[in-house]
Amino acid sequence: MSSTQTISNTINYLKNHRCHSELDSESRTPGCRIKSGMTLIIFLIFCVFEFFTSASSISADTLTSPAFKVKMSTINITGGNKSSSSYKLTDTVGQTVQGRFDSAGYIIKAGFQYIYPLTAFTFTISDLDLDFGSLITGTPSLLTNILTVTTGSAFGYTVKTIEDHPLRLVSGSTTIPDTSCDLAQPCTQTDATPWTVNSRYGFGYNIQGTDVDVADFVDNTYFRSFPIQDVDQPATVMSRAGVATDSAATVTYKVNVSGSQAAGIYQNNLQYIATPSF
Amino acid sequence: MKKFYLKNHSCHSELDSESRTPGFRVKPGMTIVFLIFLFVILANAGIHPVNAAGYGLSLYPPLLRVHIKPGKTITQVFKIDNLIGEEKIFIARLVPFTDADLFGNPILNLKSTAPWLSYFSLTNSSIKLGEPFTIKANSSEQLILSLTVPENAALKDLYVTLLVSTYSNTGVPNYQGTQVSATTGSNLLITIASEAYPPTLLRVENITPTSGWLFKFGSYYLADSISPVSFTAQVLNRGDFAAETKGIFKVAGQKAEPIYLEGVLPVNVLAKTKRVLQNNHGENFVFTPNLGHIGPFRATISIKTDNANAENSITIIFLPLKVSFGLFFASLFLIAIYQTTKSKKDTLDTS
Repeated sequence: MSSTQTISNTINYLKNHRCHSELDSESRTPGCRIKSGMTLIIFLIFCVFEFFTSASSISADTLTSPAFKVKMSTINITGGNKSSSSYKLTDTVGQTVQGRFDSAGYIIKAGFQYIYPLTAFTFTISDLDLDFGSLITGTPSLLTNILTVTTGSAFGYTVKTIEDHPLRLVSGSTTIPDTSCDLAQPCTQTDATPWTVNSRYGFGYNIQGTDVDVADFVDNTYFRSFPIQDVDQPATVMSRAGVATDSAATVTYKVNVSGSQAAGIYQNNLQYIATPSF
Repeated sequence: MKKFYLKNHSCHSELDSESRTPGFRVKPGMTIVFLIFLFVILANAGIHPVNAAGYGLSLYPPLLRVHIKPGKTITQVFKIDNLIGEEKIFIARLVPFTDADLFGNPILNLKSTAPWLSYFSLTNSSIKLGEPFTIKANSSEQLILSLTVPENAALKDLYVTLLVSTYSNTGVPNYQGTQVSATTGSNLLITIASEAYPPTLLRVENITPTSGWLFKFGSYYLADSISPVSFTAQVLNRGDFAAETKGIFKVAGQKAEPIYLEGVLPVNVLAKTKRVLQNNHGENFVFTPNLGHIGPFRATISIKTDNANAENSITIIFLPLKVSFGLFFASLFLIAIYQTTKSKKDTLDTS
């Protein structure tokens, strides 16, 4: 039975059923008029439903036509140039090996998509010298620099950071401790929280921009402390699972010292490590 | 502003003296000379951009995948570009790793070492691993990395990252603050095997619909037939060698005929590690059904390596949930109208 017939029968059934029920009442004619209107609306809803159902079956037919046969061994599943506003990608998926060379005893494939024109992985930092100058107690000092990454023929990357030690007196062992942010919600090396109270002292960073964990660095008041070399694992500050072109993020470094902080020149070394995904 | 300041200042100084006229004759000439001087300085600055404190480095290739037999030697050139207008000192080193996160980022321990690092060497005449070298402003350098695998080397994978870092030999900086150093890496995945394609053992795991109108009943999922369904999946490499995830994501109906196909992003999975499977855009797999897709469907991920296949699937039952809900509420609405109208009619008839 076709769907049109089904609908027709359904309508007849509804119509008859409603009219019969109306026979029990005394006002037969008006009730039947109302039901006819309802039937018409239901009929229209079914028509819309049927329209979508019919339309969908057409695309299914196209996809399952006799010309379409999937075999894992040699057929191309997809391929060609893919592009969007943020990246361009050429790929061939499911095809047998291309663009690599064999030799006696070794095979080398350079780059991620070795059939793609290979481009370099690039990492830049706008400023390597973060000179805070004279620090004023209870008044935070802020500096920024910009990290930029282009993955080239890699598909994804991470930038991690680690410090050699907290800011430390050049001639001594006194340090400006790494921040724990505001007391209400202390931050860690992997969890940024607000640092807005000027009576909270220390050294920390905020990062805003592309490929940054915005769920952690919610806004520019959220800070973290740096992990320490030989003690902690480097912390990820930027990452992306895909092609990146000039992904840039601004790091804000904040230091705030108390009145009891020993005078002198405090320094440390901070390392950023950018690695492509494989 | 600066020019006006200088000119006025010169005039005033001249007013103090008695020989006003000659002073005015000289000053326009001086101003022109000064402007030319400024122009030359600015022009030169444009030709040779100065970025004394910055860092910019590119490294090519970002990934090297090698299958090599014991007793063989290969050489790969890594090109390093110093992208800033300043001569920089760098240092290159190899850091081994054994693990990575789910997205193929190596988990590096900068202090780690391995005995097989001795298989690697630089054949450059002037650059050695672990020793500083200089790259001139906006110039390139090549690292000629040689890998020689001994005859008696163990048949296994070696994972290593070539790190090129900034190097400072100037001692302690003369300011209060932080000196930033930068490191850029390139990954090398080396398989030492006596055969070109050693056995791989991949298992597709955790195919899970994550978004859309979904309800789970036991091992089955109920999903709306007009809402896109997003899938996540992982692959576990149980073998001893890295493998590549070439394959497809497929949704098939009752007759096993595929109604949707999407390529799996071909990425490397290290031995004994897991990795997220993604589509060619680096995103989750997404299937958008239509109203005609009603009933049970199989979402399958198939991966084909050079010498093995891996496949896993789940069943999703697509039902016109949204449409049904819509019809249900539309019916309720119509019934409410009908009942209201009927009661009004009854009231009118009674009165």
